[in-house]
Amino acid sequence: MISAVIVLCSLMLFAVAVFTLWWMLHAWRTPETLAATKFADPDGTGALSFSLLVPARHEQAVLERTVLRLLESTHPDFEVIVIVGHDDPDTAEVAHRLAARHPEQVFVVTDTHEKKNKPKALNSALPTCRGDVVGVFDAEDQVHPDLLSHVDHAFRDTAADVVQGGVQLINFHSSWYSLRNCLEYFFWFRSRLHLHAAKGFIPLGGNTVFVRTDRLRANDGWDQNCLAEDCDLGVRLSSQGAKVVVAYDSAMVTKEETPDSVLSLFKQRTRWNQGFLQVYRKRDWRSLPSVRQRMLARYTLATPFVQAFSGLLIVVGIAIALLTSVPDVVAMVSFSPLIPMVAMFAFEAVGLHDFGKQYQLTIRPSHYAKLIIGGPFYQLILAGAAIRAVWREMRGRKDWELTRHVGAHLGVEAGTAS
Amino acid sequence: MATVVETVLDEERPDPTSAPAAPDPRGRLARLLASRPDLVITALLVATVVLVQGLNIDNFPTVSDDEGTYLAQAWAIQHGKGLAHYSYWYDHPPLGWVQIAALSWIPALLWHGPLVVMHARVIMLPVSAAGTALVYLVARRIDLPRWAAALAAVVFGLSPLSVTMQREIYLDNFAAVWMLAAFACALSPRRHLWHHIAAGLCAAVAVLSKETMLIAAPALVMAVWRGTDKATRKFSLVGFAIAFATIGAQYLLYAVLKGELFPGPGHNSLIGALQYQLGRGGSGDILKSGSVSNLTLHWWLVRDPLLIYVGTAASLAALAVRRLREIAVAAVLLVAVAMRPNGYLPAMYVIQVIPFFALAIAGTADACVRGLLRLRLGAIGRLGWLGLGRWRLGPRDLVAVLAIGLAGLVAPQWEAGDETADTAYSNNEYVAAANWIRANVPDPAHRRIVVDDAMWLDTVKDGFQPGLGAIWFYKVDLDPAVTRTLPHGWRDLDYVVLTSIIRQDPNGLPTVRAAIAHSTTVATFGSGQQQITIQKVDHSGSGQ
Repeated sequence: MISAVIVLCSLMLFAVAVFTLWWMLHAWRTPETLAATKFADPDGTGALSFSLLVPARHEQAVLERTVLRLLESTHPDFEVIVIVGHDDPDTAEVAHRLAARHPEQVFVVTDTHEKKNKPKALNSALPTCRGDVVGVFDAEDQVHPDLLSHVDHAFRDTAADVVQGGVQLINFHSSWYSLRNCLEYFFWFRSRLHLHAAKGFIPLGGNTVFVRTDRLRANDGWDQNCLAEDCDLGVRLSSQGAKVVVAYDSAMVTKEETPDSVLSLFKQRTRWNQGFLQVYRKRDWRSLPSVRQRMLARYTLATPFVQAFSGLLIVVGIAIALLTSVPDVVAMVSFSPLIPMVAMFAFEAVGLHDFGKQYQLTIRPSHYAKLIIGGPFYQLILAGAAIRAVWREMRGRKDWELTRHVGAHLGVEAGTAS
Repeated sequence: MATVVETVLDEERPDPTSAPAAPDPRGRLARLLASRPDLVITALLVATVVLVQGLNIDNFPTVSDDEGTYLAQAWAIQHGKGLAHYSYWYDHPPLGWVQIAALSWIPALLWHGPLVVMHARVIMLPVSAAGTALVYLVARRIDLPRWAAALAAVVFGLSPLSVTMQREIYLDNFAAVWMLAAFACALSPRRHLWHHIAAGLCAAVAVLSKETMLIAAPALVMAVWRGTDKATRKFSLVGFAIAFATIGAQYLLYAVLKGELFPGPGHNSLIGALQYQLGRGGSGDILKSGSVSNLTLHWWLVRDPLLIYVGTAASLAALAVRRLREIAVAAVLLVAVAMRPNGYLPAMYVIQVIPFFALAIAGTADACVRGLLRLRLGAIGRLGWLGLGRWRLGPRDLVAVLAIGLAGLVAPQWEAGDETADTAYSNNEYVAAANWIRANVPDPAHRRIVVDDAMWLDTVKDGFQPGLGAIWFYKVDLDPAVTRTLPHGWRDLDYVVLTSIIRQDPNGLPTVRAAIAHSTTVATFGSGQQQITIQKVDHSGSGQ
């Protein structure tokens, strides 16, 4: 009996880990897949117009820099709409100053909701958008000047409804967890999202995401009650059969920073996990056309919870197998999930090497050591966040917990929601 | 494996959209040949090899002790008795006979007569079939033209040495096929990460089937390098290495879980077995006449001198050809290890070399033909000097003449060798002995009979107690678990089936020798080398 349970659990964990590995490595499957993850070179002329939304909350320190950088964009036709809260005069002041200096291109929308969150802010600005395409950026984002031209081309070249650009956490040296956090983003945006786009089910990212304005309006914008409004929008659009294109170019990713402490990482992850749970419970994904897509949706939205406990389960399985006298074959099977786990660690190390190469960062042997040793501890944080998310969702606590940023990728101090 | 072959052949198919829309006047076979030539050629080659190897598979060559041992170990797995019919001592990794066990339902369908081992050889036919298809596939993937790929498959499957060795139940046959699969995956034209991971997996299975296959691993790494693109190489190499290492580590894990990694009193161990194998007396210098290795080489040469000589030469030559380099390195490494001065060289070692020889021969032939076709024959080509005034000899004619000449040289040799393989009866004595035992030994459940492993499974089927009633002759003296049950030494034994394997055994085996000395011959089959006698032990004997 106990043998049967061990074998069943081990094989399931093995399968889960192999699937995760399969998806994590999607971009590197063949040289052709890798080449296809990049933006195609733009044809020079911009044909679409863009409305770029920049929600800012207590981000007076970084906002100006972000907007000025957006204005350096080479694209001929775009507007920047900064969204500030009615209770945040400091940020509002910076925003209005920018609007006064660039009256043709920068506009300010004031969000008057009593309780504030990012989807509410975005929805406040949606009616004023004049562009064909709405793009979202966070107030601390560093955006490449050529990005818009590439996105414009991608829209027209592929007849896409949504274009998701790459987002990359970059301050891998800040702490042990930021190293893993950066790599998570690397594998997600560099590889995994492309698979989702190809399969027709994609949880979108929170920024550097571009959606056709009419599509967005037809869907009433973002879901104000969802903690993962970005993921939710992606799921809803996928379910309607929208064509989503993902492009990752290390020269053109939006650079961000990791949460400034383990605690804020923990909170951020709780919010995402809770958001994923909410999206799962909203059941929009059930209208996906194919069974495979629905399975992918189910699995993706459940991933934080599955993954959180798989590490723990593996250890427990092996311990039980060793302590009780099960047949040798069963004991060996209990070790089998370690095979894809070891492979995952190895590929993460390769990913770290590639990350360093792509961004011209020096990766030292100590970083590899941190990556491997930090693995189980990071897993613990994720597991904790997963439990807390379920707990909060059950208790009906659905308010936003903000993630503080210190501007480690900019060299400035700031507090910001992301 | 079949699916791998099929997908690949699929890829190489010409684009159907470019085909003319008009109805094709040709027959179905012709259309199939035109649209999927590789598939048709492979099918024909496989059919031919299976036919030649399958004919008379049970009667030639003589069953060997090793075949019996692997089969008995597979039997032990099937019956839940662990990894071997006696205690498993890490002589080889067990994956080879795990595969034999997995295939042994095939003879169960067909077998109804005596001598299990010879009938069980049927299971080697799918293995040879897979090997033939994979040789063709690997040849195509190292850019050989179809004729050369077919030549490689023919050499691999139809050389008299192949026909003899590949039909025997040897672990090396499994290992070689998995290694070929690893090369095929490594050189996959899609340069797919998971194909490279599969290559590492196949290589690990190959090594766990027969550990000596590890010798070819460096060449496989080269093949993976060649099969990957610069953009994704890092990931592919790591995937390959991790798959190989983690699957290979399962063997260590098994030993650790059993508490048998390190040597210690009262149990077998992986490291102990390794120490034994490495310290094992060599079989002498392969080139020095009289040494055991030299005898082994001589035996190979008797079966097919051409394959050995031409294969070695072609492997060395192929080192110089870029597209053949990985194959050549594998072959040369395997040859070099065989030639080390005082190593141990088992007869079946050649099985691992044959596929690489076959590929090297075909590749070198292709390189020669390409060279010849580029030749400008000039004055020599005008055959006026031969009195053939109007004829001109072009490079193509030269190739044709050479090909016909070489085929004429080789064909009779191979025809003779394969005919022996397909007609000779080498196991009559064993069959007769097995029949005699079944008919004439009363109450087998309470008798103890000493046999070599070629007959062990038969005696078990006859009703002797596996292990202690039907006793593999080695174990009488060398396995404490068996010796313990023989308090009166040879007097506790009832019969000894004396075969050439037991007569020639180099180990002392005093109890077995004493039992033979105190026995009377109750039946004799055959004569000379192959003679088998049944010795009934005389319990009242007084020990001379």
